[in-house]
Amino acid sequence: MLRRLKRWQAVLFIFAAAITVTLSNCAPQSSTAPTTNGSAAAGDASTLVFGSGGDPANLEPGNVEDSNSIYVQQQIYDRLVEYKPGSTELEPGLATEWSASEDGRTWTFKLRQGVKFHDGTPFNAEAVKVNVERWWDPKSKLGFRDAGKTYAIWEGLFGGYKGSAESILQAVNVVDDSTIEFVLKEPFAAFPAAIGSGYFGIASPTAIEKAGADYGIAGSQAVGTGPYKFVEWRTGDRLLLEKNPDYWQAGLPKTEKVVFRFIKEPSARLAELRSGSIDFTVDIAPDQLKELQSDQNLKEVRRPPFNVGYLALNPSYEPLAKKEVRQAIAMSLNRKAIVDSFWSGLATSNSFFMPESLKQYQDSSQADYEYNPEKAKKMLADAGYPDGFDLEMWYMPVSRPYFPTPKPIAEAFAADLGAVGIRVKLNTKDWAAYLNDRFKKPGYQAFMMGWTGDYGDPDNFLYYHFGPGGTKDIGDWKNAQAFKLLDQARQESDDTKRAPLYSQVEKIAFDEAVRVPIVHSEPLLAQRTNISGWVPSPLANETFATIEKQ
Amino acid sequence: MLRYIARRLLDLLPVLLGISLLVFLFLQLIPGNPAVVLLGPRATPDQIAALQEQLGLNRPLPLQYLSFLGKLIRFDLGRSIISGIPITQELATRWPATFELSVAAMLFALILGVPAGILAAVKKNGWIDNLAMSSSLLGVSMPVYWLGLLLVYLFAVHLRWLPPSGRLGVGVSLQPITGFYILDSLLQLNFPAFLDVIAHLLLPAITVGTIPLAIIARITRSAMLEVLSQDYIRTARAKGLLERWVISKHALKNALLPVVTIIGLQFGTLLGGAILTETIFSWPGIGAWIYEGILARDYPVVQGGVVFVAIVFVLINLLVDVSYAFLDPRIQYK
Repeated sequence: MLRRLKRWQAVLFIFAAAITVTLSNCAPQSSTAPTTNGSAAAGDASTLVFGSGGDPANLEPGNVEDSNSIYVQQQIYDRLVEYKPGSTELEPGLATEWSASEDGRTWTFKLRQGVKFHDGTPFNAEAVKVNVERWWDPKSKLGFRDAGKTYAIWEGLFGGYKGSAESILQAVNVVDDSTIEFVLKEPFAAFPAAIGSGYFGIASPTAIEKAGADYGIAGSQAVGTGPYKFVEWRTGDRLLLEKNPDYWQAGLPKTEKVVFRFIKEPSARLAELRSGSIDFTVDIAPDQLKELQSDQNLKEVRRPPFNVGYLALNPSYEPLAKKEVRQAIAMSLNRKAIVDSFWSGLATSNSFFMPESLKQYQDSSQADYEYNPEKAKKMLADAGYPDGFDLEMWYMPVSRPYFPTPKPIAEAFAADLGAVGIRVKLNTKDWAAYLNDRFKKPGYQAFMMGWTGDYGDPDNFLYYHFGPGGTKDIGDWKNAQAFKLLDQARQESDDTKRAPLYSQVEKIAFDEAVRVPIVHSEPLLAQRTNISGWVPSPLANETFATIEKQ
Repeated sequence: MLRYIARRLLDLLPVLLGISLLVFLFLQLIPGNPAVVLLGPRATPDQIAALQEQLGLNRPLPLQYLSFLGKLIRFDLGRSIISGIPITQELATRWPATFELSVAAMLFALILGVPAGILAAVKKNGWIDNLAMSSSLLGVSMPVYWLGLLLVYLFAVHLRWLPPSGRLGVGVSLQPITGFYILDSLLQLNFPAFLDVIAHLLLPAITVGTIPLAIIARITRSAMLEVLSQDYIRTARAKGLLERWVISKHALKNALLPVVTIIGLQFGTLLGGAILTETIFSWPGIGAWIYEGILARDYPVVQGGVVFVAIVFVLINLLVDVSYAFLDPRIQYK
């Protein structure tokens, strides 16, 4: 027994020593030497491994809203209209050219010829029509709405479904095999941008018919015309795509296979990237920037900002009914300091509601709210609140790129407002309830919220927040001038004429201060140094076809 | 014995009825509903109302429950509202992942925990005892999340001995047959895949297994101590039996009853899925899936998932009860 114990002691000793050695090995974190074959675990150069934030909801165009789904769909499908790499400008996709009729109500798209879906079905105007009808027409046989499909994004971007008064679309017609036209009830200048957003990839009608209601779910199929073909999806784990050899863009895609790995935790994605088991990934937390920069095998990548994080001030709450009070609040927030400390420099704060990518629609001379607590105090006193007032402010329970850490940010707001005498009570609730209850009368007094653009057009930012139907959460706030300008801009198809209309809306929004813009953040992405050709889109739907791996 | 098992299985029915009702009601208690989550910040109240109608969420509660129950009886758990994937299909792929991880974690906990407990009891108050008990205290109180991240940074990021997360390397091909990857790799005689699966299993198994390990070690120790103070142990020693026989034959078997109980409970808990560990290690198991389901108010996922986990838990308990009879002949089931 004694001898055995000694053996035990020896084993324990060795174990302890081993732990000490390994721990001391890992202590210096400052820099990791470049490794020659660091990405061996991520497969060979013919396989790109992407660290996705999670499973796609499904692979069915028009039936998703989340960026995880859009990322995958972007690779499998093409849209009628695409966006130029890294920008919000349009370029031809499955449509080679498009134009609006004189009255702006009919949009005609000329389609690319000779393109085939992955299953061999020819791409033509009829295929486009089937896809659009699926989203738009509740009676479409291939819509399978009785199986619980909603295509809610269609309603969100185009007003409503066929038969409803709100639907912007009136008819979709096949003119000939390579021409399709959309007849609208009223002019909608952003139509090409909206139909080109990542939601509306064109799927093979034959494949949909074959798969029925199961189309696009795991275990079924997803067939488009895009650079990659869908191979397999293991839920919670990975999704595999392979090169479409007949892709219509010559020379693309550059890599044989793409694997999407689903890694929910941002720190886990960074760990995977550092260990070389993934090649590139999205949405790293801003506070991990230093760790990312310290690893020489990695490169930080910034997505152009295309979002806004704002503080909504509901005028139906008595003290906030006065414009001056709302402006005083905007003036008492030290937005620059807040943005510097919570976003690690990965964000900007300015007077605009729209991000910089849409700066052609903004008046660059528009001044920002000055940070001036003294003046704010005086304005409050003039407005009849010399002793301030109580304010219930809601902060989001979830992290979003525009508000990565909502609670401490809200606390910073509260501290700034406290300094001018506004007594803030912070509140939050579960995300689903948070979203829902802001519509319950009289609504929250003040709340944090944000928006990431669906497509590259100001309409998508301004109409939804300051236009008819978009202000239910701020006590049905109405500004006749803003409503008028927004409607005018929808009807104007000449971009140079739309710009001044939108910049006026920006000015009204700034002056009214019902949604005080706090931040436009640059989502932080990262890649290993051995891949090249990745150009992140502000819309978070860039193609992987151009990416190469050494 | 068989009649006993049959009766216990019959007892499952009211238990399941109760659980299904509880899950259903609790889900209704949480504010918000799938329509809100599905539509996101963009949605207007009208759109939410319309979608609620379409999803059948406006029907009277008893009716909704009865329709859920009616399908349950036909083993139809419905489809996820968010992804449209049938719940049974998700269970078929996720359950093996959770099961494999749970078994690995339990093996880790047993192989270290039981001997540590025995040794600590035999050498009561000695340094082994102190070491085992203080490290087990550490084990119970360590946040799983922190331990998981620590292991990843040490073994995956810095030493690069093991993969940081996932079930299978990207470069390794393995066609799932049963969904149990260890089994699948062996069935296909795919040795590289087998090694890769084991490598992926190690860190998460240690992470989830640490708390059960600590608990098992502590229970084993106290059970052993109690048995070792019994008269028959003194007798056994007095008649000159080798100490190792006294410990392993006389003491251990009698000390095992509470240990087996705790093992069963721990195993049952693990099989319900380890949300944190599954999240850190991107493990495609049941826990994180149900958790996501709760956040998204994906009612079918939560209802189906919880009922399934409950069945497993009850079955494991049954197994534990049956094993008593083998450990202690005095216990007889009729």
